[in-house]
Formats: sequence, structure tokens, C-alpha cells
Amino acid sequence: MLPAVPRILTIQDLAKIYPGGTKALDGISLDVERGEFVVLIGLSGSGKSTLLRCVNRLVEPTSGRVIFDGIDVTAASGDELRRIRRRIGMIFQQFNLVRRVSVFANVLSGRLGYRPLWRTVAFRPSREDVALAFENLQRVGILEKAFARADALSGGQQQRVGIARALMQRPELMLADEPVASLDPATSHSVMKYLEEINQKDGITVICSLHFLSLARRYGTRVVALKAGQIAFDGDPEAIDERRFREIYGEDAVEVEIGPERHRDARELVAAAARVADPAAVDPDLPPDR
Amino acid sequence: MADYFVARGIPVPAELRRTPLTDWRRWGTIALSLLVVYIGLRITDIDISRANPEYASGVLLSLFRWDFSILFPQNQFETFWDAGLGLMIVTIFLGIIATVFAVLISLPLSFLGARNIMTGHPLTAAVYGAIRILFTIIRSIDVLIVVILFSIIFGLGSAAGVFGLAFHNIGVLGKLYSEAIEGIDPGPGEAITATGANRFQVIWTAMIPQIVNPFISFTIYRLDTNVRLAPIIGLVGGGGIGVLLFQTVNLFEYPKAGVIIFMIVVTVATMDFISAQIRKQLV
Repeated sequence: MLPAVPRILTIQDLAKIYPGGTKALDGISLDVERGEFVVLIGLSGSGKSTLLRCVNRLVEPTSGRVIFDGIDVTAASGDELRRIRRRIGMIFQQFNLVRRVSVFANVLSGRLGYRPLWRTVAFRPSREDVALAFENLQRVGILEKAFARADALSGGQQQRVGIARALMQRPELMLADEPVASLDPATSHSVMKYLEEINQKDGITVICSLHFLSLARRYGTRVVALKAGQIAFDGDPEAIDERRFREIYGEDAVEVEIGPERHRDARELVAAAARVADPAAVDPDLPPDR
Repeated sequence: MADYFVARGIPVPAELRRTPLTDWRRWGTIALSLLVVYIGLRITDIDISRANPEYASGVLLSLFRWDFSILFPQNQFETFWDAGLGLMIVTIFLGIIATVFAVLISLPLSFLGARNIMTGHPLTAAVYGAIRILFTIIRSIDVLIVVILFSIIFGLGSAAGVFGLAFHNIGVLGKLYSEAIEGIDPGPGEAITATGANRFQVIWTAMIPQIVNPFISFTIYRLDTNVRLAPIIGLVGGGGIGVLLFQTVNLFEYPKAGVIIFMIVVTVATMDFISAQIRKQLV
């Protein structure tokens, strides 16, 4: 039986070779159903960021197809591409807010794809957009910070502004590129919970890349692991045992837990990190030192 | 330092190994520098035997016997604006107007000369290259030479001064603005692009807020420089207080020249102070 509505996202044999010859994606095929919370894992450089950016064409794929809600994203251009993009929200590791302007202005900018040009130039948002901005700020719990400068907020608050900005688009799909990699464990959970909420309450499909496998197990309904630009695992988060973990992250890797909600002792984390036999071995569950 | 490695039998890093080549380069550089200075002294014929300390000290002293009459009209044919004080005010405005003209032209051009805005298409990349080369060429012609060339077009006077100064500043401001645009964080632009905004909206919303302060800072810096340059361009026919200074020196009216020089020093120092204060607030 054919589904009544087109699948939210279909990726067919997607490849990306950067100028200079780096093969970031090497034949990725993936189907994402509506309402899924897909977590992308894999080493730094395994292609997670590139894959997410190919979905909304922030990065131009070399070959293959991306089909969003039955529309070929890879074939779209100009206005058509922008109409697709405004249905796909995105949040970033570095939050990517305009630092010098207010939180409110940042959130409003999520509406740009729907707004006539003169409103942008004249800084005259419509009444509905203003109401929607306040609503979304309230939703992520920082309404009182609306007129603070974006760079005056803490990392976790900035990421929530990022979520509010993406929600302005009323997206059907949310891409999250390591949204908590710059945050501490406690703040990470608070940000992930907002993603979980929009996934469960609003039915927004989420594709989120993460460094911590423990977060992937806690929040993902499905885990897709990338290795050297190919899919190394695709399935239930609980199915990742030690053997699979080593397949994804390499032989020397040791999984380091990061406390899910119940806060673990920091010393325990350090001790766990110290158990890695070879300190030079890539340890995916330690925060990247960016 | 290398003995640490030698004593422990570890290979000495290449950076610590002394080679005849590095020694040779060092001595070669010193010898070349000395040679340049020697040749320079021989061929430039710097002759201090013609100096006349008594005459010079007399002139220098007379520069400080200020004659303030130059500041105001000296006969019924002169107006306030022909005398020192009026011309100083005119000169300050020459610098301001030249800055305004330069900003008006370099501001739009600087976006075309910013790599991060113009990449993506061979045509825009070519425009980028052309604009940057244009900025460099304009900048490399010294402002005094530009004013002399413009005085051929416009005749001696303020027009040559203002347009000459503005022309040179298009090159300087264009480069400064372009580099400010290139230095911005690309992240917000990426995020705004992802919301479905068009190219103009991305520039307007994500880039402009990041460049406003550097732009104001650079503009004030050039305004300061232009007010400083404005008296000088008078010496080569650009109008303003420089012309009057030139006349008084030629007529050996050193007490009057001294007043003008003092007035210029005070103006420039004040501008310098104000400009530094404002730019400090903008960082």
C-alpha cells in the first residue's frame, strides 16, 4: 500500500566531494519517516555535518538526490529552493546568532523566508510575526531576555534562541548540527528536551547529530552512524553494543558515559576518560576541543 | 637547546640544527642592509654644510612671535572667510566633504570587493578581482599627486582638493570596508540562508549588523586623517588654509605663518583625540 502523504525525506545515493578531493559523503541512501527523531553519530569528519547541510543545500552535493516531501531538493533552484528551505529548520553547534542584535530580532529573522523584502529593509515585522516571535521565545523559556543582546546570553540560552528562530519557520523537519557540542552536560539535556518536545508535541521530524552516544540512546528513536562518508549502522539506539560501537568509532575507542539527567560526578568522567589506554585514540564521547 | 636531545640520544629537531645556510642568510642580510645604507649615503649627496644655524634660529623664533592679525580680515576687501580663522574652518569642512564623497562611493563598491560575498559565480568572482585591483591602484597614487592631477582638471582651488582627497580615500576606505566584510562570522549568514531567506535578506540581516561598528570606526579614522591632510593639499593648489600658509612663508611673514601652523596643530590634535575617543567606544 502506498503512503497517503509523501515520505518526509528520502536521500538517494548522495555523494559529496569537496574541492581538494575530500570525499565527505560516499553514497548515502536514507529514508526518514514523519515524526522520527533520527540521531546521527560518527567520528569528527565522518560526514555528519555535510549530510545535514546537503539536505537544505547549504552544501551542494556532488551527486545523488535529496527528496523532501516529494519535492526534489537537489533539482530546485532560486525561489523554489527557498520555499523548501523555509519548511526545514536548522540549528547549529555555534548557535549562529547575529551577536550584536537583540534576541527578538534574531528570532524574527527565522521568518525571513515568508516576509516581503520591504519589511526586511524597513525593519517592520508584521503583527503576526511579532506575536509568533514572543510565543516561541516563551516556549523556550527566555521571553524575559527578548530585548537583550544575543551575545549577552549563556550558551544554552543562545541555543534556545536558535530553536525559537527555527520554530518561526513552522518547520516540518528540523536539522540539528551538533546542537549541544558546545554546552555542558546539564545544559545539553535542557536543549535536547526542547528538541524532544517539538518532536513529540508538534510532530516535527528531527535529524540531529550528536557526539554523546548516551544522549543518542536517550533521545533518538533511531540512530544512523556514519563512517568515512558511508552508513555504518542504521537502527534502534539500544542495538548499539560494544562490538557495533567499535565498528563505528574504531578499535581503540572506549565509550564514556555522560550523565543522563542524574548528574554524574565530574571526577567519574575524568576517571572514565583516563581509562582510555591510548590517549591519542579518538574518543567520541569526550567533548571536542573546539 | 640542542644538547638536551644529544644528551638523551633523541634525534635533534631540524629547527634546532644549525646549518651553514641559516648562518649564511643571517650574515648576508646584515651585509646587504649595510650596503644599502652606504650606497644611499653616497648617491643622495646629503650636504649639511649649507645649514645656517643663526638664520634658522632667527626664523624659528619669529615663528613663535605670533601675529594674530592673520586670523581676521586685514582690509575692507577681505571677508571673514578669506582670513585665517575662516580658512581653517573651510579646511576642516574640505576634509569632511572629501570623506563623505569617498564613503558614498566606496561603501557600495566595498561589497563588490568582498570575497565572501562575491564567490560562487565566475562573473562575480571576476568583479571582485577587478574591484580589489582598482582599490589598490587608486590607493597607490599618493594624495598629493592626485590633487595636482585634479587641479589640472578643475583648476586650483577647493574642487581639486576635495575630489583629489576623496579619490584617494575611495581606495583606502574601499579596502578597509571590504576587509571588514570579509572578516565577519559566516555562521549567522549560513543560519539565515537556511531559513529560506534570499541573498539580499542574508546580507541585510546577518552581515550588516556585524559590519556597522567597524565601518563607523574606519570612517572616523579616515575623517581624522583627511582633516589632517586638508591643510597640506592647499600647498599643492587644493584650496583652504594651506594656500594662506604657503603665501605667508613665501612673503617671509613668519609670525603669521607661526599662528597658522599652531592653529593647524591644535585642530589636528583635537580631531585625533576626539576620533580616538569615539573609536574606543566602538570596539
